[in-house]
Amino acid sequence: MFLIVCPYCKESRDQNEFSPAGEAFIARPQNPEELSDDEWSDYVFYRTNHKGDHWEQWVHTNGCRKYFLVKRSTISHEILEVAAFGEVTSENPS
Amino acid sequence: MRLKNHKSDFIDQSEALSFIFNNKSYKGYKGDTLASALIANDVLFFARSFKYGRKRGLMGSGVEEPNALVSLEIGGRYTPNLKATEVMLYDGLSAVSSSNPNSIDFRALIKPLHRFMPAGFYYKTFIKQKVWAMVEDSLRSIAGFSKAPTEKDEDVYDHIFHHTEVLVVGGGVAGITAALEVLNNSKTTRVILVDERAHLGGELFNEFQSDDTAISWHHDNLSKLLEFKNVANSRLKIFSRSTAYAWYDHNYIEVLQTNATGESLISGVTQAARKVLHKIRAKEVILATGAHERPMLFETNDLANIMLSQSVRRYLNEFGVISGKDVVLYGNNDSIYSTAIDIKNNAINCKVIDIRPSGGESETVLKAKKLGIEVLQGYAVLKAHGTNLVKGIEISSVELQGKKWRLTGPSKRLNCDLLASSGGFNPVVHLDCHCGAKTFFDEDSQAFLPQKVRKNRQVCGSISAIGFWKDVVIDAKNKAQLILLSLGEIKKSTQDSMSKNYLDYYNASQFFVPIEILNRPKVFIDMQNDVTTLDVALAIREGYRSIEHIKRYTAMGFGTDQGKTGNINGIAVAAQFLDVPLSEVGTTTFRPAYTGVDFGAMAGREVGGFFDPQRYTTIHDSHLESGAEFEVVGQWYRPWYYPKSGEDIHQAVNRECLAVRTSLGMMDASTLGKIDVQGKDSREFLSRVYTNAWMKLAPGSCRYGLMCNEKGMIIDDGVSTCINDNHFIMTTTTGGAASVYSALEMWLQTEWSDLDVHLSSVTDQFATVAVVGPNARNLMKVLCHDIDFERDNFKFMQWRPGTVCGVQARVMRISFSGELAYEINIEANYGRYIWDEVALAGKPWNITPYGTESMHVLRAEKGYIIVGQDTDGSMTPMDVNMKWILAKDKPFSYIGRRSFSISALNSDDRFQLVGLLTKDAHVVLPEGSHIINNKGGSIGYVTSSYFSPILRRSIAMAQLKGGLSKMTEIVLVKIVQEKQGLKEIPCEVSRSVFYDIEGEKVDGNE
Repeated sequence: MFLIVCPYCKESRDQNEFSPAGEAFIARPQNPEELSDDEWSDYVFYRTNHKGDHWEQWVHTNGCRKYFLVKRSTISHEILEVAAFGEVTSENPS
Repeated sequence: MRLKNHKSDFIDQSEALSFIFNNKSYKGYKGDTLASALIANDVLFFARSFKYGRKRGLMGSGVEEPNALVSLEIGGRYTPNLKATEVMLYDGLSAVSSSNPNSIDFRALIKPLHRFMPAGFYYKTFIKQKVWAMVEDSLRSIAGFSKAPTEKDEDVYDHIFHHTEVLVVGGGVAGITAALEVLNNSKTTRVILVDERAHLGGELFNEFQSDDTAISWHHDNLSKLLEFKNVANSRLKIFSRSTAYAWYDHNYIEVLQTNATGESLISGVTQAARKVLHKIRAKEVILATGAHERPMLFETNDLANIMLSQSVRRYLNEFGVISGKDVVLYGNNDSIYSTAIDIKNNAINCKVIDIRPSGGESETVLKAKKLGIEVLQGYAVLKAHGTNLVKGIEISSVELQGKKWRLTGPSKRLNCDLLASSGGFNPVVHLDCHCGAKTFFDEDSQAFLPQKVRKNRQVCGSISAIGFWKDVVIDAKNKAQLILLSLGEIKKSTQDSMSKNYLDYYNASQFFVPIEILNRPKVFIDMQNDVTTLDVALAIREGYRSIEHIKRYTAMGFGTDQGKTGNINGIAVAAQFLDVPLSEVGTTTFRPAYTGVDFGAMAGREVGGFFDPQRYTTIHDSHLESGAEFEVVGQWYRPWYYPKSGEDIHQAVNRECLAVRTSLGMMDASTLGKIDVQGKDSREFLSRVYTNAWMKLAPGSCRYGLMCNEKGMIIDDGVSTCINDNHFIMTTTTGGAASVYSALEMWLQTEWSDLDVHLSSVTDQFATVAVVGPNARNLMKVLCHDIDFERDNFKFMQWRPGTVCGVQARVMRISFSGELAYEINIEANYGRYIWDEVALAGKPWNITPYGTESMHVLRAEKGYIIVGQDTDGSMTPMDVNMKWILAKDKPFSYIGRRSFSISALNSDDRFQLVGLLTKDAHVVLPEGSHIINNKGGSIGYVTSSYFSPILRRSIAMAQLKGGLSKMTEIVLVKIVQEKQGLKEIPCEVSRSVFYDIEGEKVDGNE
């Protein structure tokens, strides 16, 4: 049962207000039609399942309904950072 | 027996309590546990074991007890499988053994066969031979413990949430010290102290007989704690008889408290919650959970009156009771000497058998010898004698050869009536491991200890193998200092050093007993589940190596005690048979819950009706008045059908469907999900999330859309209405509203933040009354005068603003039945009014309200799919024969489009939606029935199936492999009929449109 600080509401709230929404920084390809089946499957199905510090998306379902980014250790479940979209990107994850 | 001259701080001999155990009356005192009161009354048999039905007595004195399981009270207060060691005595208590030791027991009758029933017996004998189904019921009735409750629980249970800076788990010397140290060194830090026993102090009471400083320390520190507690806005909360049983992520800990009044709440007079579940968030956690003693292993070590040494000591010191007069203490560490001293001081005969050849000459050992206690060093107990109750033991001298113990001398016999053993201590690391923390095997203390460093947590006391209480005080202060430092309450921590020999208490210098002993029969490791050393040996012979597998094969540690006394011994035995170091075997995984938790406590006050919201439309009362039957769709209570008196569902649906097809029907369609889409990029947005084109949809028009996910699978469908170029209203399926809304928000927020689009859920804001049937236009002309309803001026899939019965409305011409239909959308609070007006004005055409069942029949006749019924998340638009809805020339590659060209989704062999017409028009196929090939294998299944009143025949939709190329073929559908049993029904594959195939009805009669 995590405590998560919503970057919009700026409050530490119980996990059951939130829903996980998958790995962060998986951008939808700009040109899907030009991709091979393999490249497209990579985007649709494959995730890193990273062990360690991991950026992921969460949504404040029973709150402000905003999606945001969370850096969580998949080992200890410690939440190291939260950010609004745009505050961090795949190029400059802190 | 109870000692006459014993003075106990816990037992109030002025208050006698009477209680009933196994139908006999006894007397005890206030302060007794059920276990101590029964010892005082010389009751030695408490229950039978799980597998062999062996008579068992007490082994422990608290949560670790494996044998003494009892059921408390009857009826609505009945609670099964409690440990007698944890039940506090109250006047009028009534308990029975979970499995009566005094009655005839089938398991015990077949005793000569027990040696043929090792681990895996039931699997090999019954399941592998495929006869399990024949014997399961009878075996289950023989095995097991208490019966499950049959009546509703009369008691009330509470949940309380807490937030605190520091949570201290364990109220012994370590916990008390740590809590005080934190409170003393901070002005604001809040502390919660939880302890599973009735009195704070843990094992310290055992020192009271021999150490006066222990008494004064306890008195002083408890008073200081109470000073902190008994003030207004106290920073300290103390929960006694409270067990922290689970530690979840982010320092969220659940604690189960048995209330002060506890089990003694009298039936019918509910005063308070019987149990309280405390849900605690702590910044820092101090674990002072102590250690459990483990027993020594020898043959028939499960006889009654073979107990743990510390438990015998605790019963003696805290309750003044002991269950024997001729006691033998047996073990591998100094703690048995302490127990012996206490026993001797109460003028009871005792001997010490120490497996260590040179038992050290520590202070305790010398003191015991000085008291004249007979001490045999370098001896092991081979076997306990006696039937059910221990009468004597067989011992033999041992020697350490290399790293292994060997028996050296001939065996001899000693008489005794109580054997107390100690094989060392197992730190209670369970809680610490719940969130994935590991243990390590510490050679010095011969114990699995908690990992040294962990964020926001400290351990102190005997959980980290520190045994002498004065050392524990120092350790706890040190750890509390580290907690204060972490909280920022102090700048620098003070760390004092412990005495040099602080590990001595734990000096169980060797874990193992001679392997000759382990190879004997009936050396029990897990008392509750009857797991012996030979079971472990068998598991290893059969190839199991991992301790997790050995545990599961033997069922070691699966009982209500979760192997608190047995598991570490089991690991040691496995190590010895595998001939590897103990550290290499490791422990099994510790998971919540640490001990049994009442279902009532988990439920708390949330009993009775479900918490799931019940949603009603604003027209609901009218449906109730009409006598509608309801079905729940995505939390909504929707009218299912409206039976007239004497009608069953078939008759009602028949009548409703024919009314719609021949004259006029009306339906409450308010539950459809509605999402208001606004912003100048709304069109672009719809184009991206729906498969078809939206750029040219004119204001005043509506369009059906199919929504897929990126995998190309259908997730939703519905009609969207163009209000103006920047404003649309999207409808979703009733059940899919929330998930669709959430998915759309995700695209907008995470991928397309550049689009000017805003979404609002407006499902609840509008009521919708659908007017359906060939006479719909006639009725609408009566109801509304400011809309031109002429066929060519208000076409199918258009909408008009207007005034219906004086109420502003959006009237949409859309149809889910194929008939001429209008949906009147009004502000929700007008729902009931408009519904009644429509019903009244529709009388000339015999307007008939219809429910979801008729709606389903009507739409199936037209072959309209229901997402979630005819599709299951693995269907593409091609699979449901809707290629026509895939736009080819949209510039943006809409959601799911790229996936449509993946070869797997274009295989001819996919499940495809077809119609099925049974050869016998009256047979209605049950939904879910399988279509079979000539070998009997499944090649598809029925998704929707009804009897169509207008066609007077059964119709069905089905997913059939390669179905679209099988038109007019005959397939077999396997169904179960009530009397005839399994039957194969021949059906013709058809298109999934059955009625009005050309779509001529949608404009009505004119």
